[in-house]
Amino acid sequence: MRKRAAALCMTAVLAVTGLAGCGGETDGDKESVRLMVWSPSEDQSKDSGEWLQNTCEDFAKIHPEWDITFVYGVADEATAATQVAQDPEASADVFMYANDTLTTMTDANALAKFGGKYREEIEATNSEEVLASLVKEENLYGVPFTTNTWFMYYDKSVFSEEDIKNLDTMLEKGSIAFPFTNSWYLPAFYIGNGCTLFGDGTQEDKGVDFGGENAVEVTEYLVDLAANPNFKIDADGSGLAGLRDGSISAIFSGSWDANAVSEALGENMGVAALPTYTLNGEEKQMMSYAGSKAIGVNPYSKNMVPAVELAVYLGSAEAQLSHYKLRNVIPCNTELLKEAEIAEDPLVMAQNDTFNYTSILQPFVAKMNNCWIPVENMGKGIRNKSVTHDNAKEQTESMNEAMNSDGI
Amino acid sequence: MGIKSAKKKRFITNTAVHISLGILAAVWVFPILWVILTSFRAEKGSYVSTFFPREYTLDNYIRLFTDTSILNFPKMFVNTLIIAVCSCILATFYTLAVSYCLSRLKFRLRKPYMNMAMILGLFPSFMSMIAVYFILKALGLTEGNLIRVALILCYSGGAGLGFQIAKGFFDTIPVAVDEAAILDGCTRWQIFTKITLPLSKPIIVYTVLTAFMAPWLDFIFAKVICRANSDQYTVAIGLWKMLEKEYIDSWYTSFAAGAVLISIPIAILFLCMQRYYVDGVSGAVKG
Repeated sequence: MRKRAAALCMTAVLAVTGLAGCGGETDGDKESVRLMVWSPSEDQSKDSGEWLQNTCEDFAKIHPEWDITFVYGVADEATAATQVAQDPEASADVFMYANDTLTTMTDANALAKFGGKYREEIEATNSEEVLASLVKEENLYGVPFTTNTWFMYYDKSVFSEEDIKNLDTMLEKGSIAFPFTNSWYLPAFYIGNGCTLFGDGTQEDKGVDFGGENAVEVTEYLVDLAANPNFKIDADGSGLAGLRDGSISAIFSGSWDANAVSEALGENMGVAALPTYTLNGEEKQMMSYAGSKAIGVNPYSKNMVPAVELAVYLGSAEAQLSHYKLRNVIPCNTELLKEAEIAEDPLVMAQNDTFNYTSILQPFVAKMNNCWIPVENMGKGIRNKSVTHDNAKEQTESMNEAMNSDGI
Repeated sequence: MGIKSAKKKRFITNTAVHISLGILAAVWVFPILWVILTSFRAEKGSYVSTFFPREYTLDNYIRLFTDTSILNFPKMFVNTLIIAVCSCILATFYTLAVSYCLSRLKFRLRKPYMNMAMILGLFPSFMSMIAVYFILKALGLTEGNLIRVALILCYSGGAGLGFQIAKGFFDTIPVAVDEAAILDGCTRWQIFTKITLPLSKPIIVYTVLTAFMAPWLDFIFAKVICRANSDQYTVAIGLWKMLEKEYIDSWYTSFAAGAVLISIPIAILFLCMQRYYVDGVSGAVKG
């Protein structure tokens, strides 16, 4: 409703977007420029080193031709898209967003495309997987600065390096919590056994393939998994609470829980990419959804060139390095990842291994919106024992049908 | 024998009634008690396996007021207080003035106005949210400190439509009192301020209470209008932020502490004015 109203307004007032700059007044030989920048509040807080302010000031220093006034606002990556799409004209020139919100903004015409030398520069320093997460219809919509996915935290005193390769081996040795009723996590098992979403993730007309024999096998596996006494369903933070009191030895989560986990486990904290699971005697790799976080530019910006330059600078190797040092934001710049200091951090390795090997790009086609609730219901159904071995087949089919339908 | 059995019967009924009331009260108080307990909980995280905390601490409250780098709770509290107090004063005046006019002045559009207000009142207020946002933006009220003005306008602007209860109360004040005042040379304004209002303490209290609570607790308008201006956030937005994926684990207990704190001003207002509140709702001038 809100999005539509905003989109309507947009089309009415629509101006052509492009990379042409139309700068402010000139002050002597300097052009005065006002740039509004949005970021999560941690990037601006004193306690974590005011990353945004410092980086922006560094940017101003290397561009003496502009006299830049920065205006900072707070919008985290997950919600920036709604704010920008609601009213791009009154939104920041440069902001950060999570790539799964990309269509929200492109639908409202609220995201500028990167082209020319900027695009080349971005392409030169990022892996193809990361770039793919920001490309829609051949257009690049942002400067990636970190990847976004989930992986495994485990207790090293319980599991060995060998154990963590397989989920079922782990379950024999200790208890594991998995967000079974959260549809960002549960598809990992289905995708691992060959189920697909929208072809390669961008072909909307191909639809979802979460049905068929391979999906039914997974449902059957999940019914057994949920019944395993060592398998705990993680909801409302129960996994983390279990790590704290020692009743749980491995959880699945992302970098945002890293500090809490290291507090709970101390030296025994282990981080790894996703394990495999054993389905009818065969090893299948769990595959998580992955995405990226990127810096976007507002097509309505009055200072397009400085805005784009700033976005590229905020996503540059130096900026990513200080972001990592100050706030533990895991870099994705390929040059930076080769540096020893960063490559040795297990958290960085786990996230990047997951991103590169045990994940698929989370589709951001509009129909993806229909895929969350049916999967969540499947997880809940298995938890409540309303999905059993007897009805696994029909329940899987109806999940697949719901994922492919446009209705609620 | 007969008296005894009647007594016995009454005793049984009373016991049954009290037990069921007790159970209902427990059910009702349970979530509140839980929030209060959580606000004193020393263990971190959003999930607990025990109802009573293992350890108690005041740190959650202290943190709300000292750890202001990410979520500046004191600032939000002050913002909300300013907005709530200003819109409370404005809205109370609007409501009472409109009620008085509709109760005492006879003018042609009186009936149509009351019907219109009735019908408009049937729509949820957030329906106009986006339109309100764009109007405020056109007026230049959506940036910086002017956001407070915008929010005050939002919360008090519609107050004239909520006249029903106050009008009902004014209707119970005899018109003869007004007529006597007119004979003595009072203007309408003087009647309103010198005669009607002093007779209407209960309803003023009721209006103040409701007018204060609406902006104090509102989330939707504040969220739409504040957008990325974190220095203008109200408490409701701040509390919502604390439950986001990134913050929930470390801020959960402070969230509960914040929830307890925002209920304190309302509780104080309520306790002070409770005496009048019942009179106001039942709607009668005594003595």
